Amino acid sequence: MLNYRLVAALILLGAAVLPMATQWAMEPNGSWFRPFVVWSLVILSGYIVQRHRVWDES
Amino acid sequence: MNPETLLAILGSLAIGGLAAEFLLRLNHPMANALSLNLTLVAGSGVLMAMGGLELAGRYGYTLILAMIAFTLIFLFSPLIFFPLRRLVAVIKFATPIDFLTFRYRGSAVARIACVCLIGASLPLFLAQFSALQAVLQFNLNEHLQLPVLVAIIAAIALINSRAIRADTARYLSRLMSASTFLLLVAMGVTVWLCIDNVFGGIEAMNDWVESTGQTEKMRIGNPAYSIISMFLIASIALPLNFNLLISNQISDRLSSSTAYVYPLLILLLCVPVLPLLWAGSILQPSLPPQDYLYVLPALLEYKVVSGLGSASILLLSVSLIASLSIMLSRMILNSFVLPNKALHRQPKLDDWIAHRTTITSIMLVVMALLVDTRATGLGITDYYLIGFAGLAQLTPGMLAALYLPTVNRDGFLIGLCAGISLWFGTLVVPMFSGPWEALEAYTGIAMGMENWHIWSIEALLVNVLLCTFFSAFRNMDSEQTYYARLCMADNIYVPARVRLDQVSVNEVKLSLKRALGDNAVPEVNNALAILKLELDERRPAALRQLRDQLSASLNLRFGVLAANRIMQQTLPLRLSAEKEPDDIYLIESMLAIHGNRLTGLASELNKLRVHHREILDNLPIGLISLAPSGEILKWNSAIANYTQITAEFATGSSIADLAQPWQAFIGDFVSADVPSHDGVRLLVDNQTRWFNIQRSIAHNQSESNADQVLLIEEQTQSVMLMQSYMDNERLASVGRLAAGVAHEIGNPLTGIACIAQNLRFEREQTKVETASLQILSQTDRIDRIVKSLINFSRGDKSKRKAYQHVNLKQVIEEAIELTSLGDEERRVDFFCAIDPELGIKSDPQQLIQMLLNLFSNALDASPDYARVYITGELLGDIIEITVSDRGIGIGKEVRDRVFEPFVTTKEPGQGTGLGLWVVFNLVSDLGGSVSLTSPARGSDMGSTAIMRLPCKPLDHTAEYDVETRQQETL
Repeated sequence: MLNYRLVAALILLGAAVLPMATQWAMEPNGSWFRPFVVWSLVILSGYIVQRHRVWDES
Repeated sequence: MNPETLLAILGSLAIGGLAAEFLLRLNHPMANALSLNLTLVAGSGVLMAMGGLELAGRYGYTLILAMIAFTLIFLFSPLIFFPLRRLVAVIKFATPIDFLTFRYRGSAVARIACVCLIGASLPLFLAQFSALQAVLQFNLNEHLQLPVLVAIIAAIALINSRAIRADTARYLSRLMSASTFLLLVAMGVTVWLCIDNVFGGIEAMNDWVESTGQTEKMRIGNPAYSIISMFLIASIALPLNFNLLISNQISDRLSSSTAYVYPLLILLLCVPVLPLLWAGSILQPSLPPQDYLYVLPALLEYKVVSGLGSASILLLSVSLIASLSIMLSRMILNSFVLPNKALHRQPKLDDWIAHRTTITSIMLVVMALLVDTRATGLGITDYYLIGFAGLAQLTPGMLAALYLPTVNRDGFLIGLCAGISLWFGTLVVPMFSGPWEALEAYTGIAMGMENWHIWSIEALLVNVLLCTFFSAFRNMDSEQTYYARLCMADNIYVPARVRLDQVSVNEVKLSLKRALGDNAVPEVNNALAILKLELDERRPAALRQLRDQLSASLNLRFGVLAANRIMQQTLPLRLSAEKEPDDIYLIESMLAIHGNRLTGLASELNKLRVHHREILDNLPIGLISLAPSGEILKWNSAIANYTQITAEFATGSSIADLAQPWQAFIGDFVSADVPSHDGVRLLVDNQTRWFNIQRSIAHNQSESNADQVLLIEEQTQSVMLMQSYMDNERLASVGRLAAGVAHEIGNPLTGIACIAQNLRFEREQTKVETASLQILSQTDRIDRIVKSLINFSRGDKSKRKAYQHVNLKQVIEEAIELTSLGDEERRVDFFCAIDPELGIKSDPQQLIQMLLNLFSNALDASPDYARVYITGELLGDIIEITVSDRGIGIGKEVRDRVFEPFVTTKEPGQGTGLGLWVVFNLVSDLGGSVSLTSPARGSDMGSTAIMRLPCKPLDHTAEYDVETRQQETL
């Protein structure tokens, strides 16, 4: 079945969070590793989403 | 060449290989997840080892955004890969081209998409060759470079040959895991050395970055959005991503690890890129940033680390060339060779396919190498950007396959051809021949990498627009519509309840042999083993599952086109004039497996389904749902208990597959045009059991194509109870008759005694003979009375024999005689007006019991010396027997209840109230009816019992047929 929560999260991420995060990460006065911090948070969210999945084989 | 570097390269390759082997052998979920993700990272080849540095050097932070986009596909795999995996679990695809062919149908789709994918993958080959040449140029003398390159190509050919003959995925997984492992180590060590030696530590580097304004220089520029889009879109169509994630050897849980482990690995490889670039900007090497991984350590005099970097790049490029060439060669075989090949003529089919795949893959590598000699002036990043722009052309078709059922073959093909042509003309051709000046003058936009960000997006837009336009204005045929719906992301594959020509596994084998020759037998055996079916399987549903499994297996081995041809030739589905209903059994199975994936209303409906299913399963009466073809769709637990046939066996079988006597019992009822059948007697395991069976027709379908629901209820206990009451009642009658019998026997005995006394003194021969005849006459009379009583007292319904033809008048006279035994003093006259020739097919003992009860009631109701009239008349197939008395009649208050048990008008102790109830049951048993009128017919007093019996008791014929067949079977 289509995962509507995931689609909603995608829209939210694309429309609101991503521009803000990109702007913060790439500020001229900011640290060079800020983009990696944002990326790490994306990865963490991926881990959390997958951890709560219910598997067919289980 | 520096021997230290050479040793480092060889040592690194060995360590990488060992580490990968260790991971694979560990067989732990975490090790498996790590191995899978290392393999996936290697699927992008030298992108991270070399292309990333170049990309960051050119476009700054765009690299990071592009790589996030590149990995997003795994984060959002529930939207793309998981629906595909669900489909693949049933259909099976070897390559992305097979998936597109399955969805859009036709050989044109397979061939055009295959050519496009090979064309789009060509720049990826060129990138790997460029990386190989760069590493060789840096590490080897000029005269050694060509022989080593040839040796590497020979090694790739060997790897392909081994991988194709062994387990390709597992074999290449070792190679690719090792390469990514080495790359991670090389990146980590190199960046640590550079930070330490060039900047003097992390803090010093941070200060330098801040003081020189490096973050400002890293800001994303104009082509960033095109790059990010292309990386995101191309990642969907990247062949290795597709192949690995839909592989049935990888579980859902394992593939879900790609959502975070894969991006984490890419992140770890990206973090060192910026420090390496900054270190390079200080060290100022003569080579471009793509070579920094081995150049910078060499400049810092760390030859071993440089060798490590070189080894990782060598291994990455070799593994990608090998895996990509194998995948593409399989696509070529599936799309161009196997669909037209007479496979049954190849005795060693697997070897033949492996041989052809190896040759094709080597030819692809050689072809790419030849193309590489013509391409000049482009870096690894350029090749990747061009390749990704080409791969992105396949993505709209793949996404549409999952989410847009209205996109048709014409739209897909025209869009793909237009997009790939524009991509080829504007980005690929300039790779070899430089820009098209005439075209540039016309369009005003430069071709080639200079305007990559424009052409890549425009090619994609042309693809999508044409696809949309032609899909909107051209109709889809029914085949395309069916497969379009089947591939939808939210669709659950529900096979229709179609019929096969084959009715056994052997027939399936024989049919498949026509297309596969001797290869058919192991193919079918393998499918049987997967489905856990037996060789003697005959159930239609199981054979349909076997066909689906064979189709999936052939899809995997020979591709969708060849598999379709084989299945159509050998195991065609029988077309029905009417729309075949869905396979309810398989829907149930699918929902049982995938039910936990349902959400919202669907989830609630599924709960309702489970609830109703439990109700049906736990019903105390047997329930069978039958398809019009006789296939069993539902077999609940009660019927399983009755029959000792499990639901697993019965569901999907046809009635003919059931054991006796159930096959005859249910089969006869289904074919008979009656709504119900009560009290059917079956001999099950040498025990007599009684069942009621009735049917209802499903109302949601037309009458001719309707499913039937049969309800079967065991009546053994109630029949036994009724039998017991009847026996008791009969024995009570015998008891009542006993006094009369004693009297009736006493009279002839007295006569015999008198004759015997006279006989003592008789000497005359004639008188002696007369006396002996008189004695014999009296003993005959006694014998008749005793026999009549004994016959009447026997009456075990369960042991009764077949019905026989009986003379009605004789039976009635016997019953009158028995009745008279019980009431010698009343002298009621029984007047019998029946045709002496009138006969009936029945059980004489049952008939006597019925008549005896009616006569006894008439006798009890009649005054002394009254007359009871008995008539019998043939009315068509019915014989009507009436018994009329001239007694007091029956009051209104009990008239409607006289056939119920324990209802009596007699004084307490005079009657049991079971007589008429027994009559009612026995008459019903014979298929007749009984009624009572009061006053009697043609009179204003008394009452008449009217009994209508069929000349031939039809309902019990079936019962005996069942028993007879059971005996024959035994």
